[in-house]
Amino acid sequence: MSGGEGFFLEDRVDARGVDWKLLRRLLRYVVPHRGILAGALLSLACGTVCQLSGPYLIKVVIDRHVTPGNLAGMGGWVLLYLAALAGAMGFLYLQMYAVSVLGQRVILALREEMFARMERLPVTFFDRTPTGRLMTRLTSDVEALQELLSSGLVSTVGDAAVLAGTAAILLWMDPRLALVTFAALPVLVLFVELLKKRIREANREMRRKLARLNAFLQEHVTGVSVVKAFVQEGKSERRFDALNGEYAAESVRLTNYYSLYFPGVEMFATFAVALLLWRGGLSLLHGAVTFGTLVAFLEYAQKFYNPIKDLSDKYNILQSALASSERIFQVLDSDVSPEYAPVPGPALSRPSPPSRPSPPPVLPVPAVEFRDVWFSYPRPPAEGARADAEGPPVLRGVSFSLMEGETGAIVGATGAGKTTVLSLLCRFYEIRRGQILLFGRDIREIPREELRGTLSLVLQDPFLFSGTVLENVSVGGNAVDGALSVTGVDRFASEWEAGLSTRVGERGGQLSMGQRQMVSFARALSRDPKVLLLDEATSSVDPVTEHRIQEALGAILPGRTALVVAHRLSTVLAADRIFVMHKGKIRESGTHPELLAAGGIYRRLYSLQFLEASGT
Amino acid sequence: MIREAVDAVSAGRAGGAAAGEALARAVAFMALFAALNASFRFLARRSLLVTAREVEQGVRRHLFSHVIRLPLPFFHATPTGDVMSRMTNDLTAVWLFLGPGLLTLIGTSISWVMAVAFMLRISPSLTGLSLLIAPLVVLLSREYGRAFHRQHRLVQESLAGMNAALQENVSGIRLVKAFALEAREEERFGRQCREYYRHNLAVARTSAAFHGAIGFLAGAGVALVLYLGGRAVALGELTLGGFVAFNAYLAMLAFPTMAMGWVINLFQRGNAAMGRINEFLRRPTEFEGKGVAAPGVLPLPREDATGDAGEPPLLEVRDLTFAHETGGRGEALRDVSFSLRKGEVTGLAGPTGGGKSTLFSLLLGFHPAPPGTIFWEGRDAAEIPLPELRRRVALVAQDPFLFSESILYNVCFGRDALDPAAAREAVSLARFRDEVEEMPHGFESVVGERGISLSGGQKQRATIARALCSGAPFLLLDDALSAVDAGTEREIFDGILSVRGERTVLFSTHRMASLSRCDRILVLAGGRIVEEGTHDGLLSRRGAYYDLYSRQMLARELEDSS
Repeated sequence: MSGGEGFFLEDRVDARGVDWKLLRRLLRYVVPHRGILAGALLSLACGTVCQLSGPYLIKVVIDRHVTPGNLAGMGGWVLLYLAALAGAMGFLYLQMYAVSVLGQRVILALREEMFARMERLPVTFFDRTPTGRLMTRLTSDVEALQELLSSGLVSTVGDAAVLAGTAAILLWMDPRLALVTFAALPVLVLFVELLKKRIREANREMRRKLARLNAFLQEHVTGVSVVKAFVQEGKSERRFDALNGEYAAESVRLTNYYSLYFPGVEMFATFAVALLLWRGGLSLLHGAVTFGTLVAFLEYAQKFYNPIKDLSDKYNILQSALASSERIFQVLDSDVSPEYAPVPGPALSRPSPPSRPSPPPVLPVPAVEFRDVWFSYPRPPAEGARADAEGPPVLRGVSFSLMEGETGAIVGATGAGKTTVLSLLCRFYEIRRGQILLFGRDIREIPREELRGTLSLVLQDPFLFSGTVLENVSVGGNAVDGALSVTGVDRFASEWEAGLSTRVGERGGQLSMGQRQMVSFARALSRDPKVLLLDEATSSVDPVTEHRIQEALGAILPGRTALVVAHRLSTVLAADRIFVMHKGKIRESGTHPELLAAGGIYRRLYSLQFLEASGT
Repeated sequence: MIREAVDAVSAGRAGGAAAGEALARAVAFMALFAALNASFRFLARRSLLVTAREVEQGVRRHLFSHVIRLPLPFFHATPTGDVMSRMTNDLTAVWLFLGPGLLTLIGTSISWVMAVAFMLRISPSLTGLSLLIAPLVVLLSREYGRAFHRQHRLVQESLAGMNAALQENVSGIRLVKAFALEAREEERFGRQCREYYRHNLAVARTSAAFHGAIGFLAGAGVALVLYLGGRAVALGELTLGGFVAFNAYLAMLAFPTMAMGWVINLFQRGNAAMGRINEFLRRPTEFEGKGVAAPGVLPLPREDATGDAGEPPLLEVRDLTFAHETGGRGEALRDVSFSLRKGEVTGLAGPTGGGKSTLFSLLLGFHPAPPGTIFWEGRDAAEIPLPELRRRVALVAQDPFLFSESILYNVCFGRDALDPAAAREAVSLARFRDEVEEMPHGFESVVGERGISLSGGQKQRATIARALCSGAPFLLLDDALSAVDAGTEREIFDGILSVRGERTVLFSTHRMASLSRCDRILVLAGGRIVEEGTHDGLLSRRGAYYDLYSRQMLARELEDSS
């Protein structure tokens, strides 16, 4: 891997043993379903009673009927045995089902919570987390919890009960032999300790490799046309092989540990029984214990180590579940974008206006105002830099204002920071310094819903959702019909068989670029926004279509504020005010004739960009 | 082993020292056996599980190789989330059967065979009787197996649906935020989650019922033996010891029989998943079924070749008519004919949706063009192997896609190896060099997913550099400069013109300034070539081209007079 490593947020976490805090937090998700859990445990208990009565019934049959050779009434006992069995299986069914319901519900809740949190994470998070990696967290990491939450939890409770009971019986029967029985425990614990750290680490490493593999996969499925166009199937394959191999190596390492684990635990258990046999046998020879006690002890020792084997199995499930839950909680703990935070009451944050002056001299409040705005994109956390380290400034003290009903055009060379101005106005990123005001209010004080209901954005890259044309347009708001006709979407859609119900495909891939832009334009208009934000939206349509849009804009813009990142002369000419950006600053502003007359940057830009764009 | 030790103890209860020795020996044997058993099981687990991992790795690799060779329309019709799901979740299901599933299967089979062998030694007739339930178990397994298969398929499908919803949401996150669609998206994703939940519970129900039923059948065998065996003992046909031991072995069978239920569940899940994987693997790749002409096959003679009698044109398109399979939007191209000479720079003009992008994807073989419609140096494109065809052409698509790698990697993507010198040259031609060199890591700067850290214009210039760097003789630019300003477009166009002669260029744009500098202009509207000629010639014809671009002219004239 040559790249990607420094740029993206890595999901490394510190190696620890069982993190009780993590586990407790995980169990908190079970609490709402404690009724189901209780039901499962009850079924487990009843089922166990039924199951345990089986051997007793067999003993009765043997003692009362088989040994004395008395067959009368034996059938009844056998039927009773069958009834007990049916009961046991009925309870097994209930327990298994309840346990699945529990696990699935917790997972459903967790997944929905993760998604809701994810939706509220800042754009920066998405800039730096590959889609494939995010998807791995919401799917396979959540899935890994299921085993723990369903079968693991209930049977662990059962196992623990059996373990405690057996230990008590052993101690009660013969404390000395009981201690012999437990003698292997410290060795076993040591063995488990030695392996578990490695297992956990391997598990985490494996999940990390898998996430990386999936990110690669995802990217190459999305960009498959580029791979094809440049005939790079072979290269992609080789790189995929390398990642796949790394993942497989890690999973083999984990498999090796596990392969060592189960047989090892069992071996120590058998050692314990052998030890017991030896010590017990010697005691027997010295007459210290009875034969019956020794046999019973051997039975119980095996019963003692069985749940331990099971528990160590559950421990593995727990390990991998914890590795996953760490990554899940990382998402849940990421700070949501500040715009989702509750907005401080206006009375608190804004000085209350002085006693209302008489209306006439009220100064008109600008619709959009930037006051000395400084901004830099967060630098990728490469080379040990702090994650929130700032990159080079993109905006350096930008100030401008746009009155209500005005159209402002931002012009300037690529990389001057034009798109950033729109992103900041939408509050995709937080500014470093300064203030952005919308109708006189700091955007940090405007509730998100209100802010986004006021603004409507047409992105440079017209992303459409995979649905119909109509669905995409009505995502914006209710003014669908007007938006459709004004942008001409209804016109070109009517030429298709399915009309507005034509499916646009993933990312709108079934439509041409120009059509996608017009749909996204219609989408923005359908919400009847107070401020329209356009980012080079008309750059991929032919002049006739563009003209139609300009006309439409002419019909829409009066009374509506618009801020446009413009590359076209026609757009610039239609603007009331032009802001010339250069290297992160607004260098000039004014109307077209004013700026031309001033003979500054705009004049040069004009002759270089716009005149040539339209002229021969 | 335990029995031997117990025997030693009971035999030597009176014996003293000798008994102690025998006991120690038996215990030592037991420990040794435990160690041997553990190492054997370690090896068995290891070899089986590691093999399963290797199979998983192999299938994933095969699947990736196959999938990236599937034709492009497949990717348009299949959501990325679905493709991903098959390559991740379905593959995991396959591994779960091949590894843990098979391990359990083998382990339980061994227990089964051994228990049955011991039972046979005690009483063949009772064994026969107790195995009477076996056909019932088989029958039950088959019935439930079918249900499992159906339900697991639904589970895997809903998982893919969930994946697709998630994937789309993440890709469009800016839009979601800009339009405050969070609630709508939560509802959409939640719906998929609940469907997945529902299907999973269906599997859980089946699984629980199956386990119960199998357990009951296994226990019923015990009851049968209890009754009939008990009679046999009472009648003196079987010893009490034998009866007890037999029952013990039968009880031993119960666990593996129930474990089989789990294996069948895993098997059906793996099977359903493999079915979904196979759906992809069975699709022919775009390279299959195409006349892969052996090198050296002579191009078809074309008696009516247009143009000069000598060299055939680099590219000739004749009567090309094409309709997309999906969408029902009629023919995208109708009777399109034109030819391009080597070294020419040709502009492609026309309204949005006029068929330009379709034409480009046909030239690249993304969609199969009908035979006899596209000719490269006189050779029918339908007969040119796709890799060879695509190596002739470097495409700059409308939608600039970059990999989350360094700029160097992206620019050199069309080459076999990284070549900093070639990359520098290409980046200069694309007028991107200064900005790259100003970046903190220069050519090593990582651009982020889809090039997120670059501006729209930078992304476009990076993709142009990538096309120039690939060394393909034919450049296709599909409205590739829409996000750069006119001045930069002019500079980039200068760069492209500087390689004119070596490279043939087909360039679609809406900017008249660039069109006016092309050698020739084709006007594609409504899927037809409606006009062809030079800029001046077309303007003076006052046809479609004039109608399209006079507005740009007018705007300029107005401006000049003001």
